[in-house]
Amino acid sequence: MPTPPEALRRGPLRAGTFGSVLHEPRTAVVLGRWLGAALLTCFLTGLLSHLLQQPPSWLAGALPSRPVNGYRFTQGLHVISGIAAIPLLGAKLWTVYPKLFEWPPARSVLHALERLAIAVLVAAMLLEVFTGLLNTLQWYPWPFPFRQTHFWLGWLATGGLLLHVAAKAPLIAAHWRRVAPGLAQRRAFLTAVTASVAAVTVTTAGQTVPWLRALDLFAPRRPDIGPQGLPVNRTAAQAGTTVAPADWLLQVDGPRPLRLSLADLARLPQVTAELPIACVEGWSASAHWSGVRVRDLLDLAGAPSGAGLRITSLEADGPYRVTEMPASYARDPLTLLALRVNGEVLDPDHGYPARIIAPNRPGVLQTKWVSRMEVR
Amino acid sequence: MRTLRPLLVLAGLALTGYGFYGLLTDRYIDDPFGVLEWAVGGLLLHDGLFVPLICLAGAALARSTPVRTGLIVAASVTAVALPAVLRAGDDHGNPTVLALPYLRNWLLVLAVIAAAAAAPALLRRRRRHPRKGRAERR
Repeated sequence: MPTPPEALRRGPLRAGTFGSVLHEPRTAVVLGRWLGAALLTCFLTGLLSHLLQQPPSWLAGALPSRPVNGYRFTQGLHVISGIAAIPLLGAKLWTVYPKLFEWPPARSVLHALERLAIAVLVAAMLLEVFTGLLNTLQWYPWPFPFRQTHFWLGWLATGGLLLHVAAKAPLIAAHWRRVAPGLAQRRAFLTAVTASVAAVTVTTAGQTVPWLRALDLFAPRRPDIGPQGLPVNRTAAQAGTTVAPADWLLQVDGPRPLRLSLADLARLPQVTAELPIACVEGWSASAHWSGVRVRDLLDLAGAPSGAGLRITSLEADGPYRVTEMPASYARDPLTLLALRVNGEVLDPDHGYPARIIAPNRPGVLQTKWVSRMEVR
Repeated sequence: MRTLRPLLVLAGLALTGYGFYGLLTDRYIDDPFGVLEWAVGGLLLHDGLFVPLICLAGAALARSTPVRTGLIVAASVTAVALPAVLRAGDDHGNPTVLALPYLRNWLLVLAVIAAAAAAPALLRRRRRHPRKGRAERR
């Protein structure tokens, strides 16, 4: 390849534009390790969330209802690691920024492809953390659907990461351990990045980590703010279910169909369980839910032991108006048709007259304002 | 490394290919080019505007290590908090969303960071003139 004319080498393309000694591989490797760990954590927990929320048919029957706090933990971790990735991504991109103006721009076809893969990785990661952060605020300024786009960008970012690690493997291996004497500037920079990660984590993680609640300064929720001391993702007004019909009856369709009023339900054995409500947006809160075991209702309706449920809400529309509950959840002794929370009758925002609460389930599947349960 | 690298390349290509395939065929994403515009737009904004500004701000302001550290932490906190500050109160009728005083919290955290960044310089000045403070108090 011929040497490019010097006349083109202006501005950032001129050698020596970037003065900091920290634009070097060891800093990039240390930050890259942290960022890579955050990205992989995000990807795996996000994949798990996707599988729990929308399982393919072959997997639906095998989803476990335990551990009780499983989804709360993994989805909390998803959002915590995603937010932690923001300062890490910024620091990593700043460190390697001069590489953007490398001269010549491409040394070979392989080098051009490598740079293209980096462009895919960086674009996917920037859009991924941006959409993820704004989703926790329920803010959607873009023209595409959040959930599907966020999911597919996750594959692009993780694939881009693997290609990037493969391309840089020799460099990473050479700087995995510190070979030269430590740089004071590097130590100071890494300390600043660590402090940044700590700062953004402790000021947001309180939306799901109980002992950080007092420091919850920037999260969109605090787990004790809301009707009956619990946050809400979709209010009764938003779902059009503020007033439950006076003649509300729970319809249970099975071999022995049932129609139960609130008084009928109150006469059945009542069970109280401490269960978390955990949202895909990262917040979660524990509460004492009381009501009738779904398993007991299934038995009353004469359902066979391996039966699952289809649950329908009173709400007029919404993607989770009708949900499926596999037998593993329906049979769990902690899965309730809840009538009360923390000792009080459910607030309309929490699903009055009755809602589903099951262990290890995404919040959107904890159907509120239940009107019908079909044995399947 | 001789086996690991080809494996990483294969896995990386498979995941990237699956991601592109999904973006292009997902029935809910009716305009994949809208996603491309936002992805490329984000890249251009970040690399073309945001990082140059950070570099200039760093060169102009960050003279000492504590100040540089403070600026990095403040920028990080701002990146995470700014959407909530801008959106505060815009809850579509759900008062449990964006339920906190974000502007106040943000200014409070910036003040704490500024104090922490200034503390070493103040302490150093005190140590250099230890008598001055006591004399004034007397």
